[in-house]
Amino acid sequence: MATPVKVGVAGGEYMESVVVLEWTVKTGDAISAGQHLVTVETAKAATEIEAPCEGFLTAIFAEPGTEVSLTETLGLIGADTADTAYEGDEPATDHAPVADEASLQATTSEAVSAAESLSPPTPGGRTVASPAARRAAAMAGIDISRITPTSPTGRMKLRDLASATIMRAEIPLVPAGGLSANEAGPLKVYLSGTKTGIPVLMLHGFGADAMSWFPIERALARAHPIVRMDLPNHGKSPRRRMTRFADLAREIVDAFDALHLDEVHVLGHSLGGACALALADIRPRKVASLALLAPGGLGPVINGEFAAGLARASRPESLEQWLKLSVADTRLISPEFVGAAMSSRVDPALRAAQAQMANDLFPDGTQGFDLRPALQRVECPMRVIWGKADAVIPWQQALSAPGRAGLHLFEATGHVPQMERPEDVVAILEALFAASGGKQ
Amino acid sequence: MTMMRYAEALNSALREEMQRDPTVFMFGEDIGRYGGVFKVSKGLMEEFGENRVRDTPISEQALTAMAVTAAMSGTRPVLEIMYADFMPLTLDALVNQASVFGYLWEGQVEIPFVLRTQGGGGVGTGAQHAKSLDSFVAHVPGIKVVAPVTPADAKGLLKAAIRDPQPVVFLEHKLLYNMRGEVPDGDDVLVTIGKAKVVKEGTDVSIFATSKMVLEAEQAARELAKDGISAEVIDLRTLRPLDIGAIMASIAKTHHAVVVNEGWTFCGFAAELSASIMDHCFDDLDAPVERVAMPDMAIPYSEPLETAMLPNAAKIAAAARKALA
Repeated sequence: MATPVKVGVAGGEYMESVVVLEWTVKTGDAISAGQHLVTVETAKAATEIEAPCEGFLTAIFAEPGTEVSLTETLGLIGADTADTAYEGDEPATDHAPVADEASLQATTSEAVSAAESLSPPTPGGRTVASPAARRAAAMAGIDISRITPTSPTGRMKLRDLASATIMRAEIPLVPAGGLSANEAGPLKVYLSGTKTGIPVLMLHGFGADAMSWFPIERALARAHPIVRMDLPNHGKSPRRRMTRFADLAREIVDAFDALHLDEVHVLGHSLGGACALALADIRPRKVASLALLAPGGLGPVINGEFAAGLARASRPESLEQWLKLSVADTRLISPEFVGAAMSSRVDPALRAAQAQMANDLFPDGTQGFDLRPALQRVECPMRVIWGKADAVIPWQQALSAPGRAGLHLFEATGHVPQMERPEDVVAILEALFAASGGKQ
Repeated sequence: MTMMRYAEALNSALREEMQRDPTVFMFGEDIGRYGGVFKVSKGLMEEFGENRVRDTPISEQALTAMAVTAAMSGTRPVLEIMYADFMPLTLDALVNQASVFGYLWEGQVEIPFVLRTQGGGGVGTGAQHAKSLDSFVAHVPGIKVVAPVTPADAKGLLKAAIRDPQPVVFLEHKLLYNMRGEVPDGDDVLVTIGKAKVVKEGTDVSIFATSKMVLEAEQAARELAKDGISAEVIDLRTLRPLDIGAIMASIAKTHHAVVVNEGWTFCGFAAELSASIMDHCFDDLDAPVERVAMPDMAIPYSEPLETAMLPNAAKIAAAARKALA
């Protein structure tokens, strides 16, 4: 292994490069340690570079007249005349003068501290996230170890949870003319939870998506298989026009049939509650139990502005107002929550499709479909859960449920009981599932 | 509203308070006949006489002890210390007397005095006339410390300081005296001590500053805006008691903080801001707090070197970018 000849500190501390003036030896010459090999010019003067060790000069890389950086290798000293193997730009070996060592260490420690200032430590390999990102992830039920940080520091930031960036990003307005795409393809289905047992099918509300079940999904997933579905025009499901509720119900039934499930517990919220009820009516023998959270379809009254405003909201500021309307305790609607909700609504085509859907399903601010007859026909164990501070659909519509249904009405709770009363809702559902063991 | 210079705003505050309250009087070096090195007390000796506007020999230590005892005796002295660099000479009277007497005598004595001084660099006044020793006084409980940047706040805070029952250190900056601004008319327009002000609203990063650094922060915010970064600039106005509520509200919105102070970095006021933010806003932070302050060395006389050292808009903008990276 040959030893590289370098300028090192001989170049002067203020210099980046030197000019090679003259070699006093030629390749093949025997060299003794400390022998003057080459003269270089720095800003100050001509400086002699000495041999770092004894051997034979086996290569000259920097000819007279060339400008070289202080770290470049000028030539090689080999153990014999054929020894030209060396390690590229490796720092000087222990043959280097003491001063060289010191300067190298200084440079190295500077480089290390610069790297440290950019990369936060990763004790025990844990994911490094800013406190705000960590809190927002916990609130949204997001596993931060699965997210790739975008910061050069390697630290997870709020924006990596698709909130801060989304809040700043220019979001295009809904294209004029509304829905144009009419995409084919099945509805998006997410599977989680245990492998055995009767699955719980979850159908989310208007303007949400399958991820919106996070407040109760994890608790239920401990003991049940979970099947979550994105409604058409929501989440990752295709965008296509449905002019009537019956079209939507047909989509849900088709998607359900495609899952080939023998039996399910069906859980639906708001518009998803209407879909759940329709599914229970159309596939009664497949439904072991039915739980409706502030469901649609049980009366004409709905806050039509809510559905339309939610669908159209193209900015966090406007979305926030509608989200706040959906809960009794508006502290739940933190900027992080709005950011996370907005991040799933960035696509203007999605918002346009939902705006069209709101117009089709809730014409003139009215629920244009009536599922009260279907509610009377349900025979499986059934619970209706509603918040008495619901500003979207009045809770009194729960009273149309037949006597055999269980009613759970929460004070100081808005349109999303599973978010405001997650423990209560989980307990109600567990009791319902236990009471309706199905055909097994 | 009247347009006036910062020095004129201070002058009118002093005049109005001396007209209003006969126990208010001033003393200091060259404040009377000469009208003050920065002309803050111009014309006051002519109006109020040599008893109420007194020229004194050079002895900051004696002057401060005098102010404390005069305040205990039922007057409201306003002491001018020509340069903040001389504040170390005032510290025994401030730290061992003024700040603790209220406690030692169980509130039976009030120390209503104001120590006005000016600090800061930027004009080549060298290592002994350009320092910002904010943290020397802000460190001490029992003393209030204010550092206004606008003429309006200078007037309103000085009037509030003179009327305050506790010792107040009033920090001015030599580069602010010629700054002009609208000042509300009226003898009783006070600015509450301990209240910060949002100078510019923003959503991406919060910049906290006092005194002249507020101007640098505003310039930084304009630079950042060119890159689409929305910086919020908070003028703390008071260093102690700190308006932590305003700090928390801003960080809850932006999740990023840059703290600025013209004093030294190590153990400086910016360090206190950073620690307070960590105490109160940890879970709101999306990046470590960035600190912009003076490097730990003597202030060079050479103007290019001094300029290179002083915290400025470019350094604040760079810190904001680093926080947002």
